[in-house]
Amino acid sequence: MSDLLADDSEWADVVPIRQYENVNPIAPIFYSEEYKDATDYFRGVVKTGEMSPRVLKLTERVIRMNPAHYTAWQHRYKTVMALQVSLEDELELMDEIATMFLKTYQVWHHRRLILTALNSVDAAARELVFLKTVLENDSKNYHTWSYRQWILVHFNDEERLWAGERPYVEELLEEDVRNNSAWHHRFFVVFSSGVRAGDEDREQTLRRELSFAKEKIALAPNNLSAWNYLRGALEHTHTPFTTVTAFVEPYTASEPPATDVVDLDNPLPSAGAQLPCVAALEFLADIYEEEGGEKTAKAVEIWKLLANEKDTMRKKYWEHRIRDALQKA
Amino acid sequence: MAAPRASEMVATPTDGYPTATSSLQSDTEITIKSHLPSSGTPQIALQKKSHFEFLLRNLRQGLPERYTSQDASQPWLIYWTLHGFSILGAGLDDQTKKRTIETLLALQHPDGGFAGGPGQAAHLLPTYAAICAFAVVGRPGEGGGWDAIDRNKMYNFFMSLKQADGSFLVSHHGEVDVRGIYCLLVVATLLNLITPELLAGVPDFLATCQTYEGGFGNASFPGWAFGSDDTEATTPLSSPRDPTAPRPPLGEAHGGYTFCATASWVLLQPFIKLYHPPVPGNPLPEPKINTRALLRWCVQMQGLPIELGGFKGRTNKLVDGCYSWWVGGCVVLVETLLGLAAPHIAAGEEPADEHDEDSAKAWDDADDSLFNRRALQEYILCAGQHPAGGLRDKPPKPADAYHTLYCAAGLAAAQHRVVPSKAREKAVLLTWDPVQAHAKSGATYVSPSDVERETFEELRKQMFAHALSWSEEEGTTTYVGGAANRVNAAHPIFNLTITHADGILAHFYGQMPPSRYPPRGKK
Ligand SMILES: [Zn+2]
Repeated sequence: MSDLLADDSEWADVVPIRQYENVNPIAPIFYSEEYKDATDYFRGVVKTGEMSPRVLKLTERVIRMNPAHYTAWQHRYKTVMALQVSLEDELELMDEIATMFLKTYQVWHHRRLILTALNSVDAAARELVFLKTVLENDSKNYHTWSYRQWILVHFNDEERLWAGERPYVEELLEEDVRNNSAWHHRFFVVFSSGVRAGDEDREQTLRRELSFAKEKIALAPNNLSAWNYLRGALEHTHTPFTTVTAFVEPYTASEPPATDVVDLDNPLPSAGAQLPCVAALEFLADIYEEEGGEKTAKAVEIWKLLANEKDTMRKKYWEHRIRDALQKA
Repeated sequence: MAAPRASEMVATPTDGYPTATSSLQSDTEITIKSHLPSSGTPQIALQKKSHFEFLLRNLRQGLPERYTSQDASQPWLIYWTLHGFSILGAGLDDQTKKRTIETLLALQHPDGGFAGGPGQAAHLLPTYAAICAFAVVGRPGEGGGWDAIDRNKMYNFFMSLKQADGSFLVSHHGEVDVRGIYCLLVVATLLNLITPELLAGVPDFLATCQTYEGGFGNASFPGWAFGSDDTEATTPLSSPRDPTAPRPPLGEAHGGYTFCATASWVLLQPFIKLYHPPVPGNPLPEPKINTRALLRWCVQMQGLPIELGGFKGRTNKLVDGCYSWWVGGCVVLVETLLGLAAPHIAAGEEPADEHDEDSAKAWDDADDSLFNRRALQEYILCAGQHPAGGLRDKPPKPADAYHTLYCAAGLAAAQHRVVPSKAREKAVLLTWDPVQAHAKSGATYVSPSDVERETFEELRKQMFAHALSWSEEEGTTTYVGGAANRVNAAHPIFNLTITHADGILAHFYGQMPPSRYPPRGKK
């Protein structure tokens, strides 16, 4: 291949810099010729501080071979800003690169820097749409979610940005109720990041969230994500766990209760539920511990059951809970 | 707690409602379960020899082209490999050490800090990896590497990354996240670069990264509390403008971030106690995390028997060997925060006088760890080892340098219980030389008053003594598969062997702490 910068007259004025001079490095990587060539020239332009259209091309070349090359990103960002190239064009190029290298930190951080500089709610709204397509293929991508959350708080536009988030989470949980990233996102939207428009009545909001979590638990009771959400909602709002005792209890029994009465507030385990549910046993023990007094003994009983039978992997932890509760009692 | 037999292993319940998550989980369970030896109780050996060969190949022959993706992580490749040797119990020859020191020095940035490769920008993550690698191979004096580290410039580099909310960018124009904070704090501790201005606001920042699940996410949003979140702006450091504004965590609870945040939190304990005393009218309220929720999250990440007790990195995700260290190794840190890690007898110590009858004697076995240490070892031995050498995420994945180290370190955390020892701390403090410690500081920082200087000196002393106090608890080692599987213990905060941590700390603080292993009678 004669695709090397070393053979390209456009680059003749740049002095390439080899990676190691006078050092016989330990654990060396066997790079391709193309990578070695591009990074030699990249070191050359970093040294001279060159920021030019050809440097944009060069950084793109390096990034496509190694998207984790943070220095190439850093230099690209400085060059984009210095040359005042179109930030929209830069984002568009990034759409392709992001899709190819979803798992790389730098891909997302660069977008964030560009979006910050662009400073436009329109662009932010478009970005949320783009991220939807990304999450369709990788619904738990950490960086994508974290970046989505940043867009929401940074641009903070109720109508154009926040408003679609709860329905979006519902869609995702409809598809996979065990997607913890979606649960986290819901908590982020509803609780961690202040009060959304329409959610000013916090009691009403909590009621809505509790029934949402309960419904999802009923669907697939052994889903820790949903139980963690229920817990989180109660703790965040300083609501005692005892407010959900009636809901939790049926999930701790070995069989679903035989009843025709439908209690909308407390949906029963689904027909396929595998009971008792460990997360429900844990929850009930926490309720008893919270109540204290003679209820502590009931909590201890459940922890013993978890330690010795239902969740033996965490035996040490359940025994710790027993000691801890008895010490406080 | 005998290992369960394959027939007793219950699959994660799907409640007759399969989704993408549960299907992937079920497939994984089948694969992992099939790696349990048919004998049931695993008497499986740690294939040290083939792991050595795997690491040695990387070191001597180099790494294949697919490692180009780690071109900006060269100090990590070095650290993983060399510390991997140390954990697995192999020493290094002088020639390898010399070559390593020369390689690492080629990564030092002219303006301070270390880069992922020569000619790259300085970055907090490779800086951590480089300094830890120096702890393994370096020594004081000419050619030893340690004295060639420009600590003054490094400190200035650190300060140049500091944000108004107490966090740090990982590099210039880089992102903020708790991995960077951890890396910075470890390096600053090891190299005697800690100052109150460096640590200001860090605990508060970390606390805001804890999520409702109890673990930590990667960062938080400062914009509402500090008026801006523009990491490119050169905002002067200021105190919170609106302490009541939410600082929401970004990203869900995750094993890697949880380890980094927790280890940082443990390191910062002396700072929190000295600089945020909970007294009325104190302008700095004591930053708090929910330690109970953190413990719950960590232990919930341990997989079921059918997953051989490996650890996950997030709720409803799959077990992965590297979380053996990030989450399994995190448990002892949380126990420490909860005051549950007081050792009975640390190695080389006399039994403490004040023996706590009722709390200690409730147990009939010596293992106080709150996670299942035996099961974790089984996961690493059965599922984590690649038949061709090296360790891995899970079968059928290939081995790599990263997973080899974090599986090995996780195995160390499961075999040994390393906890802060009061007696060791006392012994270290007895020989503390404040004049040397001050003279050896690499930070350019002048305390504004005598009172503040005293507090600062106290901080340095306590951080040093705490770092050196971690000791293996005697009589609590557990080797699944027999003592031949023993690996060396790792310092729970730094992820270095205790010997390497002790050595570099003593050097950069100019201290001569007493030996850990006083002669005990004649052989
Ligand atoms: Zn992994």
